[in-house]
Amino acid sequence: MDFASRLVTQLGPVAGMVLKAIFFSLLGILLLIAFIVIRRWYRGRYFRRLNERTFALRQIWDDIVAGRVPGKEWRLKPLDCEIVEAILLDSIETATPDQLPPLLSCLRSSGLLDMRIREARITRSWQRRTALVALGRTRAPETIPALAEALDASSKETRIAAVRGLGRTGLPEAAVPLLDRLLANELRMPEHTLRNALANCCRKSPGVLTPYLNQSQGRTREMIARVLGEVASPELGDELLILAADPLPEVRASAARALPAALPSIALSALSSLARDPEWFVRLRAVVALGSMQHPGRIRPLIRALCDSNRYVRQRSAWALARVGPHLENVLAQVVETQDSYALQAFISELERSGAIEKVIEVLEGQADHYPAEKLLLEALTAGRKRIEAAMTAAAAGGR
Amino acid sequence: MHRVLQLSNHILFVYYLLSNLIYLVLLITAIFKNTLHRHRLASLRLERLKNSPFTPPVTLLVPAHNEEKFIVDSVRSLLTLDYPELEVIVVNDGSGDKTVDELQRAFELHPARLLYIPDVPCAAVRAIYSSWTEPRLLVLDKKSVGSKADAINAGLNAATSPYICVVDADSILERDSLLRIMAGIFSDPSRVVAVGGIVRVLNGCRVVHGRLEEVRLPKRGLEVLQVIEYLRAFLIGREAWAHYNALPIISGAFGIFRKDLVKRIGGFRADAVGEDLDLVVRLHRYLQEKGQDYHISFIPDPTCWTEVPADLKSLARQRARWHKGLLDALWPNRDMLFRSRYGRVGSLILPYMWLFEWFAPVMEFIGYSSIIVAAILGLLSRQFLLLFFIFGYAFATLISIGSVLLEEMTYRRYSDWQEVARLLFYCLVEHFPYRQMTMIWRLQGIWQYMRGDLKWGELKRLGAGAGA
Repeated sequence: MDFASRLVTQLGPVAGMVLKAIFFSLLGILLLIAFIVIRRWYRGRYFRRLNERTFALRQIWDDIVAGRVPGKEWRLKPLDCEIVEAILLDSIETATPDQLPPLLSCLRSSGLLDMRIREARITRSWQRRTALVALGRTRAPETIPALAEALDASSKETRIAAVRGLGRTGLPEAAVPLLDRLLANELRMPEHTLRNALANCCRKSPGVLTPYLNQSQGRTREMIARVLGEVASPELGDELLILAADPLPEVRASAARALPAALPSIALSALSSLARDPEWFVRLRAVVALGSMQHPGRIRPLIRALCDSNRYVRQRSAWALARVGPHLENVLAQVVETQDSYALQAFISELERSGAIEKVIEVLEGQADHYPAEKLLLEALTAGRKRIEAAMTAAAAGGR
Repeated sequence: MHRVLQLSNHILFVYYLLSNLIYLVLLITAIFKNTLHRHRLASLRLERLKNSPFTPPVTLLVPAHNEEKFIVDSVRSLLTLDYPELEVIVVNDGSGDKTVDELQRAFELHPARLLYIPDVPCAAVRAIYSSWTEPRLLVLDKKSVGSKADAINAGLNAATSPYICVVDADSILERDSLLRIMAGIFSDPSRVVAVGGIVRVLNGCRVVHGRLEEVRLPKRGLEVLQVIEYLRAFLIGREAWAHYNALPIISGAFGIFRKDLVKRIGGFRADAVGEDLDLVVRLHRYLQEKGQDYHISFIPDPTCWTEVPADLKSLARQRARWHKGLLDALWPNRDMLFRSRYGRVGSLILPYMWLFEWFAPVMEFIGYSSIIVAAILGLLSRQFLLLFFIFGYAFATLISIGSVLLEEMTYRRYSDWQEVARLLFYCLVEHFPYRQMTMIWRLQGIWQYMRGDLKWGELKRLGAGAGA
């Protein structure tokens, strides 16, 4: 100290400032190193104890779940309680419907569920968010009100945790608070999280979405339709037809996505008309959906889409056509009939990519003597190849 | 003379104090942001993202130039990444070795006559190959113009996904890194246009067939010093700048971008020395000019492991190139400086980059010279000089240890006590002579840029990613 004050007197106030800065920097270094060392030591000790207790509790796991080990033996010990809850939640997430009741019963009778519900209601910040996600993992219907309350929290992180929690329950009832708020425009959060949660909740009962879809407008309508597109089931046939005629293109695209889930008799005609939609991405979606169907009636609309003005639609249609089945030479004949060079080029490219071209050429060559028309096809094929090569060279030259 | 020296010493003192204060603010911000991120991760389940039908497809762009040793393992490793819809486009950038042959043999490539439209200008593509065994793989064989950016642009033209992720052929991505980095996009897809992940040092780690088996600290001190530098740059610098939405760079080794935006700004600049920095600055410029609400984000858990130079000569070349790249990206965008139109980018990050990144080696050099001259001439008290050096040393060490602390608090990749002790030891010794050497290499970079020498230069590689 004496040395320091002599130095400050000798060198002026700036030196005093530098001295202080050195002192605080050195103190900071020591504190950081101490923190790292103590943290490492503490974590090592914690994980050792965790491991020991997990092993001990696993030995009596069946008795804990069945309630033969009284809850008070582990519930009031924080580490044991943490371990049992973690094992229970992991088991619930992977449990089949018949394995679920005893696990949920253990969660309820031990009071763990009530503790988490209370935490979700009265705690704040990350403690609340952890409780919300844990509640979702329980898949218990009584958690829905607490989760729904958190949807109105002021913090965005808490609202996200609540949405994730509701999604993880996988219960159709959990979708209701989400949809209610969505309709009232009271739910501001990343769309991806919301969509995932809704899809998880409505996977078994997509019908939950339809009344909300009918009431919604604009962006909300598009989002609900998009979820419906993913979870649609055959029972929604008529609803999907209505959506296919929706004024919003995003909704029509979602209908196209959902239609393969409906009966082919309904889906095919609707998708054929969507494949002529004025919006290119609706047509694209319809072509993708047609490609995923197994009905022979899909070939004609796909060939029509192959002549589309949009290159993505053409490419996707070509992709689907090149994979329709064994008689690709017939498809090729129909493509040649369109007399559309772009369509022919897209189809031949895709045949090459899928590796089917050699087989098609083989079939055509083998039949050339019997069917003179196929000779023309071979010529068209060769001409098409040349055109592609020319286009490639031109494109490469453009790149230069 | 005396007055000039005194004035110069005062300026240097203020400069040094300011730069340390900024770093302190960045360290505190990074600690706060890291803690927040860890909490967020606790409620994020990657398998749900993986199984979600709403997860958008991603195209991995892998520019490859003379990568015959690594390319097959590297592509195999990329194809095994946990991601639902993945497309891998390898762009062979005129390799003189057997890069394409190796790929052809391993993946049964065959020429595919695909429609390739060069929306973004790049050198001619000689051939496009697809694979009989791996439909997600596409290989473009293009003429080389000696630019990685040009190769990425060729891949960009062929990409079919809404997001592209640029990955170096000799780098290794962790299996879940793509899902993790995309989580940054999902957090707000309408605003987040690009996300960077962390790049870590592969040297010393055990790699088997393109997969990271064991994380170890490198044996050589030179490499350990780079480990600390990477931790400091990523866990403090990028984390904190991203928090203020002023991230100036996403590493070229691992970053994800919205494809439409990259195309709209004309792709990567083919003649850029540091194409990654250049792209991000141009993205900022474009989005600020359009008045869009956007965020360029950084997430510290998606990890890419990359080999760093193990010898002084390669390291010197790399650092000179990085500094050239910095000036090469800053100079064309100098009109953004202090213009309110460019928001924080123009008023905060670009001035910071000019003053405390680009100009740092110059100031450091002037600083060393003038302080020593002043001390010799008796203008500066020797005790004060000593105090100042001790402060500089202690503060820089504090920041470095702060980055090790962040690593400890978050990802703990170096689990061994011994390794942490070594990291801490190198935090204490990195300031001499490594720091001074870095200063010289960076000055060389400035000199080379001024002379118009914009070559990349070859880096000698040990082949850490080559396999067991």
